[in-house]
Amino acid sequence: MLLRASRNVARSSSRTAVKIAGVRRSFVQPSSLSRASVIDPPPPAVRDSEELFRPRTDMLGFQLGKRESNEKARPIYLDFQATTPLDPRVLDKMLFYMTDQYGNPHSRTHAYGWEAESAVDEARKYIADIIGADAKDIIYTSGATESNNMCIKGIARFHREKKNHIITTQTEHKCVLDSFRKLSEEGFDVTYLPVQSNGIVSLETLEAAIRPDTALVSIMAVNNETGVIQPLKEIGALIRKHRGCYFHTDAAQAVGKIPLNVEEMNIDLMSISGHKIYGPKGIGAAYVRRRPRVRLEPILSGGGQERGLRSGTVPSSLAIGLGEAARIAQQEMAADSEHIKKLSDRLINGITSRMEYIVRNGDPNGYPGCVNLSFAYVEGESLLMALKDVALSSGSACTSASLEPSYVLRALGAAEDMAHSSLRFGIGRFTTADEIDYVVEKAVSTVQKLRDMSPLWEMVQEGIDISTIDWSQH
Amino acid sequence: MSTPSKTSLLHLYGGLLRASRSFSSYNFRTYFISRTKRVWKEFQSNPSPERVSDFYKANLEELDILRRSAVVNSIYGGRKLVVESNQGVKRLRSDN
Repeated sequence: MLLRASRNVARSSSRTAVKIAGVRRSFVQPSSLSRASVIDPPPPAVRDSEELFRPRTDMLGFQLGKRESNEKARPIYLDFQATTPLDPRVLDKMLFYMTDQYGNPHSRTHAYGWEAESAVDEARKYIADIIGADAKDIIYTSGATESNNMCIKGIARFHREKKNHIITTQTEHKCVLDSFRKLSEEGFDVTYLPVQSNGIVSLETLEAAIRPDTALVSIMAVNNETGVIQPLKEIGALIRKHRGCYFHTDAAQAVGKIPLNVEEMNIDLMSISGHKIYGPKGIGAAYVRRRPRVRLEPILSGGGQERGLRSGTVPSSLAIGLGEAARIAQQEMAADSEHIKKLSDRLINGITSRMEYIVRNGDPNGYPGCVNLSFAYVEGESLLMALKDVALSSGSACTSASLEPSYVLRALGAAEDMAHSSLRFGIGRFTTADEIDYVVEKAVSTVQKLRDMSPLWEMVQEGIDISTIDWSQH
Repeated sequence: MSTPSKTSLLHLYGGLLRASRSFSSYNFRTYFISRTKRVWKEFQSNPSPERVSDFYKANLEELDILRRSAVVNSIYGGRKLVVESNQGVKRLRSDN
């Protein structure tokens, strides 16, 4: 049957070949235009902003393909606060556990499970080492957002009967603020501490806010928008004096960048993120102190993995990637911070020496890899759009879709127009001096161009004080 | 393991630099070249004999990692960065 079918196919194809050969034309006979079937050219697979030459429908011929030289160059990545590229060394370690070693780390009955478990525990040790903790204190989560939710809600709900007050600051990350908002809906008393104009929370304000029924204080280590470093050691010592009050810190932006030690800083709970330390996305960790024991109510119920605080199979390849990223971060911390400080100074000096009316937001002694600058009389979003070759953000990635000014800068006391004109430059391990020079060049020329178009800038040049103008006169 | 000779150390250093240069991403390439140079310069300034064999072993592993990573990077490596396209063309005279 199959043989017959294949013979039929062969016969029919030979017949068509004969037919075509039968209408053979002589060499000089042209086909008339009416017999040429003109079809619309297909759309290009990749639409490019640089329009290629496209033939009209009445044109004969072929369409020009995309040439190599027309390819648009990639923008420079200067948004290391949003996320960092995966370090190739981390990927290399992960690939082994994504391909060959696929065992479930919780399987206790075979070698696949044992190998995965030992690697996951080794990674746990590396994470613990970077914050000066014990490996058993580390709990894998899906990221810093989950860690924050788990710590904040867990502590508050566990101690609900006796304590009803929780404290945070106004400049926290959205996931911390939203957890607190949720808890206040559940009936908790929430205090949002103000910060000083340099972004640092004052210890006196904090001490005044702590009450006998305060269960938790949550203050982030390094701010994601301004790079302000909070005095964790002093805050930890202050909170330790109050019995039964726990100290949680969101260290997503701090781990691997500044030295942290949970014992010295008296930190009870800490959130760690994988993709901020050149690790994979989708993994994070929470530090939950065991001595003295910190008890909290888990959000997820299930198989009781991770001390029962975070049920669910640990994604072994991601966890191992986080561990490797932490190990590399600890090994490279001194060299990285030196490199980042050098580039950060180069960026700030390059921009401020060539332009005026530029304000650096936040504490100048903060983390140097996060430079938040306000360019007066320039709209931040239009500056972002004009700087096409540079991947930047005006604030956190979570709020980059909205045009609202950053609430962090408003909490620092920045005027509305300055909060609107801010840009965040994130510098990291893989940034080079050439990139910084390019960005400085571009930023200076773009800001100059936008200011030249601005009527406000013209008025400032003429010596009119803009703040004295009453805009709503008509 | 016996102490590695000076030739084998130099050979390893050359291999590391070659592996670093074979990254197709500009940022990774620049980083690993400068990192290799920095680590070896540090080692050179303080070559304690008991550290040599550990250092050699660690860098052999590093070489394997870099070679594999460079292959993966070259498979998935994307477009060039804007700073790269400005480089490369060395103009000898101002008018050509």
